[in-house]
Amino acid sequence: MRKITLPERPDLAAKAAEVGFTFAHMHGEPYWDESSAYQFTLAQIEDDLEGPATELHAMTREAVNRIVADPALMDRLGIPQAHQALVADSWARGEPEIYGRMDLAYDGTGPAKLLEYNADTPTSLYESAAFQWQWLEDQMAAGHLPKGADQFNGIHEALVERYRELFPPDTDIHFTAVADNAEDYATVEAMAWAAREAGMGAHYSDLDKLAVSKDGQFLDADDRVIGTLFKLYPWEDLLTDDFARHIAKSGCLFLEPAWKAVVSNKGLLPILWQMFPGHPNLLPAFFADDVADALVAGGQPLPAVAQAFAPVAEQFRAAHVVKPIFSREGAGVVIVEGGEVTDASENHDYDGHARIVQAYHALPEFDGFRPVIGAWIVGSACAGIGIREDRARITQDLSRFKPHFIAE
Amino acid sequence: MRKRSRTVALTILGAAAFTVAGCREEQVEAQAFPDLASCQAAASDGGLVTAGECDQAFAEAEALHVEAAPRYDSLAVCEEQHGAGNCGSEEEQVSNGGSGGIFMPLLAGYLIGSMLGRAGGGMAASQPMYRNATGGFTNAAGTTNFGSNAGRAQMGAQNFTRPAATAGRAPMTSATAASRGGFGGAGAARGGFGG
Repeated sequence: MRKITLPERPDLAAKAAEVGFTFAHMHGEPYWDESSAYQFTLAQIEDDLEGPATELHAMTREAVNRIVADPALMDRLGIPQAHQALVADSWARGEPEIYGRMDLAYDGTGPAKLLEYNADTPTSLYESAAFQWQWLEDQMAAGHLPKGADQFNGIHEALVERYRELFPPDTDIHFTAVADNAEDYATVEAMAWAAREAGMGAHYSDLDKLAVSKDGQFLDADDRVIGTLFKLYPWEDLLTDDFARHIAKSGCLFLEPAWKAVVSNKGLLPILWQMFPGHPNLLPAFFADDVADALVAGGQPLPAVAQAFAPVAEQFRAAHVVKPIFSREGAGVVIVEGGEVTDASENHDYDGHARIVQAYHALPEFDGFRPVIGAWIVGSACAGIGIREDRARITQDLSRFKPHFIAE
Repeated sequence: MRKRSRTVALTILGAAAFTVAGCREEQVEAQAFPDLASCQAAASDGGLVTAGECDQAFAEAEALHVEAAPRYDSLAVCEEQHGAGNCGSEEEQVSNGGSGGIFMPLLAGYLIGSMLGRAGGGMAASQPMYRNATGGFTNAAGTTNFGSNAGRAQMGAQNFTRPAATAGRAPMTSATAASRGGFGGAGAARGGFGG
């Protein structure tokens, strides 16, 4: 894994405009940045990222199986009691998952470490699956990349295949996102293209235009009944909305399904560590309440986790990260080193939520930027990656998307 | 082993355009005929198409039949998909040098759309129809099922997508034919052609 400098495509701005990639620049900064790119070997991709991410997803499913059977764990993960049955039922019915994005720390050597799993509403799908793909084709055609270069990016094809295996041809699938957010919308439309290519009918409505019928079915902006709904809107928010009480009886299949509420949840991380202690792709993690006292000099963890905490106590005291169980784009994240807060997100939207602590694992640094590998899971297997890098140690919404390629 | 997709969807249309593309898909006035004679009879009766358009549409559907009919490597597999007695060899159906070892369904009707004369961009104004395994009819791509090969209806423009060519390619194996699957599911939703 290395970072190389490359010429930008001379017609990049025109190209982005032509395909409707309106957020290639955001907040006055480039978001899509192809002035350099990350290079991987095929072995790094397959052995260190693809294989482990697929395995982590399988471990996650085992964890879900345990969590939904245990109301106490669902409480810890912030699932409202009124909706715990909805979450458990969606798992028992085997409602299918479409996609998710694992954020991994990886520097080209050694095992990648799972930082968190955005398994419910990951964005940057369009730039990962499509714009990045075009970049590779263009740069190979221009001779800036070797002809035999490749990219770990089977995301679009995997999504098409996933829809085909789940739904009969011509199934109508509705897609929804918050109105007027170009970034969210791009992810939804990339998803809808895949569904359409798989032979589905794809229909879009803004989230706030959805309605409920007299019979308790959800309706789209044109009052048509929704049978299957892909929503780029997190379950933790959905479950607190007024319409949440209609979900169970609506007869509507939600994508991602309700059980993703316990996956796209940092409370998953301590449960994974408890089930798979020492796994090379996991960082030690605990619920903050269980070990809060032990993180200050002379304190002790709760007896239930004492045995698990002992081997990693020094690691945690040296450095750990505090994360709210629900948060997006680094919000509410705090880095503590030697008992001192050394870094903290300025976004406090999620501060009201319970927290977990995770052993600190430094991101690698390339030319002053720290990349996070987003490993896309489609169905149950890893299908590609997208990389975002940030100057800061906490990757936030000012991070840049960086293309990658595979060459030996 | 290639690690990236062969194609991707590059364009972000935007909510308004995508919804139109999805829900308000262009509707096409369409009519099905079992044969040329019934089309011409309807034309003289003041139907959707003129006699000249019948000829044009039939020529186009027959060309598509040669180019894009489902092809199978055995009569048995073909009949499994299209019913007994509804298949023949390529040699019998294609005028210039078809193979005796490749089997295609017999042409069982023609679907003509009102876009006749302005079809383009991967669209064809008429489509061949074939028997399906359940006694109804299907198109060349096997994506839509119809109850009848006669009658008139409004349908989505995607029914006139030009089917992928099958001529000159390796015959389909029984495995690929089986994966086509789902016959019947679309027909119910579409309502089909009523007498």
